[in-house]
Amino acid sequence: MASRRDDGGYSIGAGAGFAGDRIEPAVRMAESGEVDAIALECLAERTLINALRARRISAEGGYDPRLVRRFRPLLPHVARGCRVVTNLGAANPAAAGRAARRLALALGLPALRIAAVIGDDVLERVREVEWTQPIEDGEWIGAHAYLGLESIVAALADGADVVVTGRVADSSLVAAAPMQALGLEGQALAGALAVGHLLECGGQLTGGNLTEPGVPDLPAEALASLGYPVADIAPDGSATIRLLDGQPGRLNVVSSTLQLLYEVHDPHAYFTPDAVLDFTGIRLEATGHNRVRMSGARAAPRPERLKVIGFLARRGVIADVEIAYAGTGALARARLAADVLRLRLARELGLNDFLVDLVGVDSVLGAGSRPLVSEPPELRVHVSARCDDAEIAQAVEDEVYALTLSGPSGGSGLRSERRPRVESITGFLPRDQVVGRIEWANDR
Amino acid sequence: MKVGDIAAGRAGDKGDTLDLTLVAYDAHGYEALTRLISAERAASALNRVVPGPVVRYELPDLLALKFVAPVALPGGVHASLRAGLHWQKAAIWLLLELELDGLEQ
Repeated sequence: MASRRDDGGYSIGAGAGFAGDRIEPAVRMAESGEVDAIALECLAERTLINALRARRISAEGGYDPRLVRRFRPLLPHVARGCRVVTNLGAANPAAAGRAARRLALALGLPALRIAAVIGDDVLERVREVEWTQPIEDGEWIGAHAYLGLESIVAALADGADVVVTGRVADSSLVAAAPMQALGLEGQALAGALAVGHLLECGGQLTGGNLTEPGVPDLPAEALASLGYPVADIAPDGSATIRLLDGQPGRLNVVSSTLQLLYEVHDPHAYFTPDAVLDFTGIRLEATGHNRVRMSGARAAPRPERLKVIGFLARRGVIADVEIAYAGTGALARARLAADVLRLRLARELGLNDFLVDLVGVDSVLGAGSRPLVSEPPELRVHVSARCDDAEIAQAVEDEVYALTLSGPSGGSGLRSERRPRVESITGFLPRDQVVGRIEWANDR
Repeated sequence: MKVGDIAAGRAGDKGDTLDLTLVAYDAHGYEALTRLISAERAASALNRVVPGPVVRYELPDLLALKFVAPVALPGGVHASLRAGLHWQKAAIWLLLELELDGLEQ
């Protein structure tokens, strides 16, 4: 499909930056008519773990349960020419494709062509993966290779309006549609992949998670309706990153630099399946209000190995429990409660792998927290413990709840959760061992 | 004066790796950050909370420094005992709060 733009470029928006992200930024982009395609990045390590669990329960489960909520307002725009590429297929892209197809039919849009990209799931070859650390005890619940843009591009070239994938490198997810439309290669493709990396976290490029020295944070009204980023990519791989007119947010050189370098580790060699990107020569310049021009991305050829993320379930769970104290002397009573819990967990339950801290004092940054300068009017005692089984987790929860009767006065506001003990392990497979394939949801 | 008075920052993660970025507002600020926030100084700030060494990358054209701690998050953020999930996003404050003692006004 040709671009909607008349300057030979291609416009793509990032409508979501994680599975639970807001729905309406993508809808506003689609409504604007200014974008050729929208990428929805909806898959992180934690989301994939949840999806793997859902797939165990049902063969048709394992894709993002928000698919219908996300797609319902978008598909009518897709029918008018705005393509969607998304990884919300999670652990079951083929089932996601079928679900999208059912929705398209229900919306009276039977002509929409929906493709799923499969092949990232390498659980059956987990023993062939070269893991970056020794694997001790534990059960593999999933292993996924990071696919590149190849299969997405093939599906788009074959007429797909919607492409749902599982684990695909985020930058490749965004770069696929412009690459297909503009025929990008070499350094131009490097530009599109760099744009992909810039955009994939959505609102984190446009004023979210941003504090600048001497500048007030965006007000609540702006953060509550934050616009998400759009990139106008030129055939040479340079791009203008912008907010749609009238959308609130802050997109400047600093916010762009923070996001360009976000989680890339070595900026000379950011590994994607489609190229090894060098960000050190990139130039970012403000070209207007909430507009930044990006150029100068370079790339070395794609790596011969693909990254694999494996999820190793350890025995037991993490119990995460809190109890609150308020009123005069709350800090002293909270500290007293924390001491009681340390005694009880170590002595009565025999645990040694737990953490007790105070929410509002040191539960996030621990020993790196700023010193307390005044007594908080209320605070929470938090305990997390690695437990071998559910029975011990129950005992930890009970110990915290028992403080309401046998601890300092006024213990209240109890809450608890249990998290599975799943560790993310990185590994590699030779590229030729991983084959992305397309599965069409339509009869063709 | 603190790092956060002359720079913006952001923390992220991938697997075991904690990954932090500082962006200065001008060349003077970048020079100060480069001179005063060595990998060792960043490591001593981060090691109050997470283990392991820190590698620093300099990006003069972008006025940015990256600090990468490859074994800081054993098992990834989901294996952490911290309250809730994704505490690592707050780790940038360990760098933003560092004093810039040697910085001339």
